[in-house]
Amino acid sequence: MTAVYVLLGTIFGFVLSRSGAADYGYVQAMFLLENFQLYGIIGTAVVLTAPGLWWIQRRGRTAFDAPVRVERKVMNRGTIAGGLLFGVGWSMTGMCPGPILVNIGEGKVYALAALAGALVGAGAFGTLYPRLQGLFQLPSLPQPDRPSR
Amino acid sequence: MTLLLHNLQPLHWAISGAVIAAVTVALLFIANRRLGVSGGLDDLCSLALSSSYFRRDLVRSSRPWRLPFLGGLVLGGFLSAVLAGGWTPIWSLGRFDTVIGSGPAGKLAWMFVGGLLIGFGTRLANGCTSGHGVFGLANFEWPSLVSTASFMGAGLVTTHLIYRVVFEWGGVR
Repeated sequence: MTAVYVLLGTIFGFVLSRSGAADYGYVQAMFLLENFQLYGIIGTAVVLTAPGLWWIQRRGRTAFDAPVRVERKVMNRGTIAGGLLFGVGWSMTGMCPGPILVNIGEGKVYALAALAGALVGAGAFGTLYPRLQGLFQLPSLPQPDRPSR
Repeated sequence: MTLLLHNLQPLHWAISGAVIAAVTVALLFIANRRLGVSGGLDDLCSLALSSSYFRRDLVRSSRPWRLPFLGGLVLGGFLSAVLAGGWTPIWSLGRFDTVIGSGPAGKLAWMFVGGLLIGFGTRLANGCTSGHGVFGLANFEWPSLVSTASFMGAGLVTTHLIYRVVFEWGGVR
């Protein structure tokens, strides 16, 4: 299956690269409401994904007959606060997480700095989780000490 | 308007959106996985950090699909550059160069700070443009609508502040 994941990632990455979604200028033009391209992309993606997800979940089985399991997002104070922080970062870099990796592949050197920042930011979040939990009413972590498999 | 990458004309938005939808649906149908890229930041961190947040089963169990998927994203960008006329290191940043115009060190620092906000923010929000914006919205999940509105709004305000207020005297417009 690993090859399938690489293939799906490659297709996704190629389209992000060629569509403008991983392009600093298009992201700024989107936020300045100067250009419709990226709104068109996400709108189309959502509209076409919705019936697909509905059908798979109604069917209840994947292509390999496994029971479909979709973990839904939960709402808490982080939903808005985290979104706001992410939005500032997206505007500054012109990249959301996928396009950071796509830009690295394209050879955009500065994307390496964005990735480093994103890893430090995520690492800090995970490390500080016990302290952030109360503040943002985040879900509690399951059993901390389980033997690794 | 063209891409920074070899000044290409971008693919049509409808085609791009359709391919993204196809990948999202295929990932669930074939692999029983919910699309989400920013969770991959947890997966990558979990390779080096061992706090209980990174030792969750959710993180460990997603590594076998998400790390190859993230590798694919890099590969997709690489192939895109190669097929467009050759891979070469790129420093140019379009509007940023014209208006803000910092040197390489300033650009890297700017990107690092933005990256910090992306990493911390997407983990706090439990999703990004893919997990909330595409999968979550398409699956009619309220938290995803709230989070998407938050990051779109924050991006809109930030870019306006940068290009319409702070650096308005810089040149463009």
